[in-house]
Amino acid sequence: MDDRSFAAAQDFLLSAKTFWSTTMYQALRDKHAAAKKTASGDAGEPVAAIAHALEDTTQYQFYSWLERHLQRMKYVGRYGLVPYHHERRDELLATFDQSIDADNAVQIDGSLTLPAYYTGVDIHQHPGGVWSDDVAGMIYERGARTTTPLVGVAEKDVHERFTDLALGERTPAKILDMGCGFGKSTQPFVRRLPDSSVDAVDLSAPCLRLAAYGTRESQASNVRFRQMNACNTDYDDGTFDLVTSTMVLHELPPKTIEELLGEAFRVLSPGGRMVHLDFYCLPDAFRRFVHYGHARRNNEPYMQPLAELDLSALVASKGFVDVEIKPFQESDHIDLNANDAWRFPWTVIAATKPSEAAQ
Amino acid sequence: MKQGSKSPRSEQQFFDDPAIDRIMGAFMALATEHYVLLDRVRAMERELVNAGTLNRGSLGREPDEVERAETSADRTAFIEALMRPLLGEQEALGAAGKFSLK
Repeated sequence: MDDRSFAAAQDFLLSAKTFWSTTMYQALRDKHAAAKKTASGDAGEPVAAIAHALEDTTQYQFYSWLERHLQRMKYVGRYGLVPYHHERRDELLATFDQSIDADNAVQIDGSLTLPAYYTGVDIHQHPGGVWSDDVAGMIYERGARTTTPLVGVAEKDVHERFTDLALGERTPAKILDMGCGFGKSTQPFVRRLPDSSVDAVDLSAPCLRLAAYGTRESQASNVRFRQMNACNTDYDDGTFDLVTSTMVLHELPPKTIEELLGEAFRVLSPGGRMVHLDFYCLPDAFRRFVHYGHARRNNEPYMQPLAELDLSALVASKGFVDVEIKPFQESDHIDLNANDAWRFPWTVIAATKPSEAAQ
Repeated sequence: MKQGSKSPRSEQQFFDDPAIDRIMGAFMALATEHYVLLDRVRAMERELVNAGTLNRGSLGREPDEVERAETSADRTAFIEALMRPLLGEQEALGAAGKFSLK
């Protein structure tokens, strides 16, 4: 396929997704509201009750089908991200030849064993996942540009806004970005704190190579991308002043989330802050129902378990204090109190490792 | 497109009849193809207008009665092919209705 055909098809799918996430979502929301009026009270409405009322409706069947298959068509089929990148494999890989592995900015660990939860499911409906193919990082990067259709070109703002929030008034000297992917979450820290040192770890070698290539282009020298399991790093205790992750927790089984939180506590210096951006705060049962359905349809098996965790208690159990869990506004025009469009339940999960005096 | 060596797994089902799930897949593939084609026709028009070969105003005008008459038979044949299957009638005579070898 040529670039024009690929772009036209992807634009078409994105427009269809926008219609789905607004008009079709609103219709489903209204159908639920109408069903609730006829039900006997809505106090403590469980997800199962909404499922009972909606799942057999034609409205929900089309809504669900489109959520599943617009995403499938984004990746595969005649104009999918996967065939587009496979056809251009040699050309794309030549843009950062394997010399990137010798670059100071990246460290690939060929002996790393990838966890079964990571390799067992093709998350986001990305065939082969974000790790198994040399161009998987590029496919992931291209696909992520349209993850939040209503934010559109302002997608970058999610990371910039998260960086604002994670830093606050602080200027941490050493930062660890856990599960950095292709580096989009890392770059704002690198750019804004040129005198700080940023380490970013991820399981995916193709993503890390892409991240390092971005660093080479921006000529930043204060960042290292390392292939490593964030739950079991080789950093000394108390190395970092700030530990972050962005859209990582929901990809992990609960036991692994617990390990990651424990590792964050270990590598943080006393008084250091941990800040995660993920999907957690669900304001009502309808949005919980929609979120659980999304998890199933988008191949995200650990999204629902995360949403059902007592995260505040889990974080505190690791020794953290000042635990804050609050909704995150991913774009200026998003009204957190409105429910006019499908959106991720963006949430910031933050906590502090007690200072030595307090320990 | 099949990836890797994983064994095939049944696609998720959303409609009561899985046939609708599958026909929707074909429908959306055709809709995508249609949009890709539309995009290419527009791009060709743009190129031809820029080259001075095509007058966009002339191309976009409403056809007159002569042109309509010329295309009428083709239009009728297209509609016939599109809509005749909706009648559910046999084109070549044979046994009728749904059959079973149970």
